[in-house]
Amino acid sequence: MSDKSDLVCVGAIAGSFGVRGEVRLKSFCAIPEDIATYGPLFDQEGGREFKVKISRPIKGGYAARLTGISTKEQADEMRGVQLFAPRDKLPSLPDDEYYHADLIGLEVYDTGGKHLGVVRAVHDHGAGDLLEVFGPGLKTTALLPFTNAAVPTVDLDAGRIIADPPEGVFPD
Amino acid sequence: MARSVWKGPFVDSYVLKKAEKARESGRNEVIKIWSRRSTILPQFVGLTFGVYNGQKHIPVLISEDMIGQKFGEYAPTRTYYGHAADKKAKKR
Repeated sequence: MSDKSDLVCVGAIAGSFGVRGEVRLKSFCAIPEDIATYGPLFDQEGGREFKVKISRPIKGGYAARLTGISTKEQADEMRGVQLFAPRDKLPSLPDDEYYHADLIGLEVYDTGGKHLGVVRAVHDHGAGDLLEVFGPGLKTTALLPFTNAAVPTVDLDAGRIIADPPEGVFPD
Repeated sequence: MARSVWKGPFVDSYVLKKAEKARESGRNEVIKIWSRRSTILPQFVGLTFGVYNGQKHIPVLISEDMIGQKFGEYAPTRTYYGHAADKKAKKR
């Protein structure tokens, strides 16, 4: 199995569905039904492995069958378990496109090499993606536009982003 | 009821002044505004506005397809983090 740090949370089990061992599955994926294509999925510790078969959409998620879960009691016990997919199961992306999971945690430096902070989250409010950066000397997080001008370099291997933030994004 | 056409789009005058000043200076800066109610005009395309959401200024890079919308539409006042999962971000 992959290293624990290479796992990406893609869904969670909200409880049992019906009396035949199906579970109520919540998907966190951009296209919710994609959760079944990233299988087998693992629990948080990475010890248990599940193959997911979606039966049908239901209110708030999907009814699904997981391997090793055949009774309602077993399905009830699974309530609250988060499901993780290995990072390498996610399809590769074209240049200039990145998974949020890859961007979160990257160190941000300016073009002069000054450390600006760490990416905490990625938002999209409709006007392009924004990196939420928290760093030394900041009382609250700063929002950095994820554009070619403001973020010229993303080096996933080195775990760093080189940013050229517009004036006013970070306090002087 | 929709706004009468003869009035033209509503924009707070200070937003127009700030945008004009920023365009003349040509500096790469975020124009901080508090006017969420102002309409996005064609002359704002290419500028980055920091639209106040009640807590901080959200950078909004104006593109052509935003013309006619209000600034506030691009700076939500509530933040939902959710899970990263397989969501993607694309550089513009």
